[in-house]
Amino acid sequence: MSRAVGVLGTFQSDFRTRDDSRTFVEQAQLAAVGALKDAGMTPDDVDAIVFSLAPTWFMGVADADRWAIDSIFGAGKPMMRVHTGGATGGSAVQAGFNLVRSGMYRSVLVVGAERIAETPDAQEVLNTIFDVFYERDMPLSTNTTVGLWATGYMHRHRVTQEDLAAVAVRARRNAMRNPHAHVKGDVSVADVMASPMISWPLKLFDICPRSSGSAAMVLGNMDMVKKHRSRPAFVTGAASRTTTYWIGDRMTSATDCDFIDFDLAGVVAAASYERAGISDPLRQIQVAEVYDAYTLMQPVQLERLGFCASGMALRLQHEGFWDCEGGAVAVCPSGGTLCTNPIAVSGLVRAIDAANQVMGTAGAMQVPHVKNAVSTAAGGIAQFYNCIVFSNEPRGT
Amino acid sequence: MQDVFVIGLALFPAANAVRELRLEEMAWRTVRAALDSSRVTRSQVDSLTIGACDELDGRPISSMLMSAPSGGYLTDEIKVTDSGASALAFAHARFLAEETDLGLVVSWCKSSKTDVEKVMRLRGDPFYTRPLDLGAIAADAMFAQAMQSEFGLTTGEVNERVAAAYLRASRNPRGMCHAAIPAREVGESSYDAVPVRTAQRAPLTDGACALVLASSGFLRRNPQCKALARLAGVAWNTDSYRIDSNRLHALSAARAAWSDALGRAGLRNANDFDVIELEAPTGWHEAAFVRAFGIERADTVSPSGGAFAQNPIFCNGLVNAAEAVLQVAGQAGPVQLLRVRRAAAHGCHGLAQQGHVVAVFETPGVAA
Repeated sequence: MSRAVGVLGTFQSDFRTRDDSRTFVEQAQLAAVGALKDAGMTPDDVDAIVFSLAPTWFMGVADADRWAIDSIFGAGKPMMRVHTGGATGGSAVQAGFNLVRSGMYRSVLVVGAERIAETPDAQEVLNTIFDVFYERDMPLSTNTTVGLWATGYMHRHRVTQEDLAAVAVRARRNAMRNPHAHVKGDVSVADVMASPMISWPLKLFDICPRSSGSAAMVLGNMDMVKKHRSRPAFVTGAASRTTTYWIGDRMTSATDCDFIDFDLAGVVAAASYERAGISDPLRQIQVAEVYDAYTLMQPVQLERLGFCASGMALRLQHEGFWDCEGGAVAVCPSGGTLCTNPIAVSGLVRAIDAANQVMGTAGAMQVPHVKNAVSTAAGGIAQFYNCIVFSNEPRGT
Repeated sequence: MQDVFVIGLALFPAANAVRELRLEEMAWRTVRAALDSSRVTRSQVDSLTIGACDELDGRPISSMLMSAPSGGYLTDEIKVTDSGASALAFAHARFLAEETDLGLVVSWCKSSKTDVEKVMRLRGDPFYTRPLDLGAIAADAMFAQAMQSEFGLTTGEVNERVAAAYLRASRNPRGMCHAAIPAREVGESSYDAVPVRTAQRAPLTDGACALVLASSGFLRRNPQCKALARLAGVAWNTDSYRIDSNRLHALSAARAAWSDALGRAGLRNANDFDVIELEAPTGWHEAAFVRAFGIERADTVSPSGGAFAQNPIFCNGLVNAAEAVLQVAGQAGPVQLLRVRRAAAHGCHGLAQQGHVVAVFETPGVAA
């Protein structure tokens, strides 16, 4: 019996800073209904649900997934919530994949919503993810830690702030073709450089927005794929890894997982690629939807995902290697996390954008002849990492 | 599809309040003991499934700091936030999917440093439930009221059940060894929320639990490891968010999780079990679940004493799983029942027990 797991349907809302027209549960319902409609399914066709929800501190309702259960047709079904910080959406897709592949369920709805703008200062919340005794007072946040990361990367690989700024320019340009993207536009390197300094060397345009919205993906076994999708995307590789919390321990010469070069991403990609039969990523993968909440995170992941050597991604960028048209790999045709970051579902949105490329449903963002697309998600200051390969055929199952 | 076995486990010594250790240290000691009991090393572990709640742990993304002490270093880790038992359920699925060969399931709760009622009230939606200030105590009382009318439960039966649970718990060396309380004394305690009295509720404790799961393939390759129990089936289900009469009376999620788990294990009814460890935060809950699950043999119910032995809220279901495994393995000590071949562990979570998980364990080699 085939154990292949395919994508039956996807949906993502339009993302914006606030969505006062809907409650959290209505946002989740919008996504659930949208994905089911895309798959041609009814709620009764869903056997189980995975809810994608990162810290609820942002919106102030603990375990808000339970509140949403009736709105997403979950009452009376097996449901669980997955939470791995920024990697949550990727972990949720992996959990859905596991549940279908286990043979326990024919189909699983992966759904979530984010209302991060309910809190006046997300960075203040994110300061509380750090150790209460040693780190909170420094004060660490995602902005300050990635600022330190970017400093180390720039020093090690002799790249500039302008090189990083070009990532934001390309992301916002790509996002102009994405009807769901939060920020988009034709900006220049000079515009990025002139944007307000947040945490050196990161300026406002180097950093993702705080986005509200929702997303959903329905996964199913081969029987469901045959019934609901004429041109499916199959999950052919899915893996996650976690490394040490302590960033300093990732910066010693004895470390297993160097922080600056984000070795963790390479470990996870290797595991995912092996399952998917990817031995030459540059030739076999046409689209990469990487979790790039900061400009820095795009080049460092492209290097670890095997698309180029260490320190080369930003140099190759200037030669158009990562462009959607004429590039070696189309990197974040959606604009990526730099343009839309609803934390609870950011990894899920990356997966949706990658799967849509394989299914040929990416609209104006569509890259031609996509056989394999990869999506990633990162959480907890690059401590958690997830990588999923979507393919146009089932493999190794 | 590969078989899944429990090859080791550990329970942190139950305590009212663990003051000398941080939560990370509690988790580390528990996982260390579980790995040692399994005769495996941490580096052999390829998956970690954490069951933890940020709000109870007191920090967002609590797994950042808790992951490494729980065995998460270059392992495939996913955290579920429903309950410890939910983590076990998901870990089981990962094994059936053949995505892991050796996995840790870890859960904890340091109830003593958490205002549990405040966390429960935060679960209320901001529009309808939050203004009611509904917490776990009131929600449990609503459940008890519904069960009173649904099954005709009497205060006398509930008091007797609590007294019996305390008596069993007093013999459990892994629990608090609370002194046994006579039923009369239970019935004379003050009301917390009608009809639930203070002594009918299990007191909260601090705790942590870790199980080591292995595939049949891993056991073949590692003959030094021995299976304590086979995980024959797991199922879970969730009820509506609305705590209305229909939901409370129907016990739909509890019944569905129970029947699905039995179905997966190839079993017919509660009589197929020698032990059934129930998560019952009050005597009312035990009386209700016994009826909902059709349990006829009183001697099979929670020989560990259940929540009255230790009650680290959130990870109780995983503690029940550990107690069930020990019974199947013949290692439950003073609370061991005779000839236990099959045991069920039940866990529940959410306001008025919105979600339920049931796991079935049996002696390795026992066929349904």
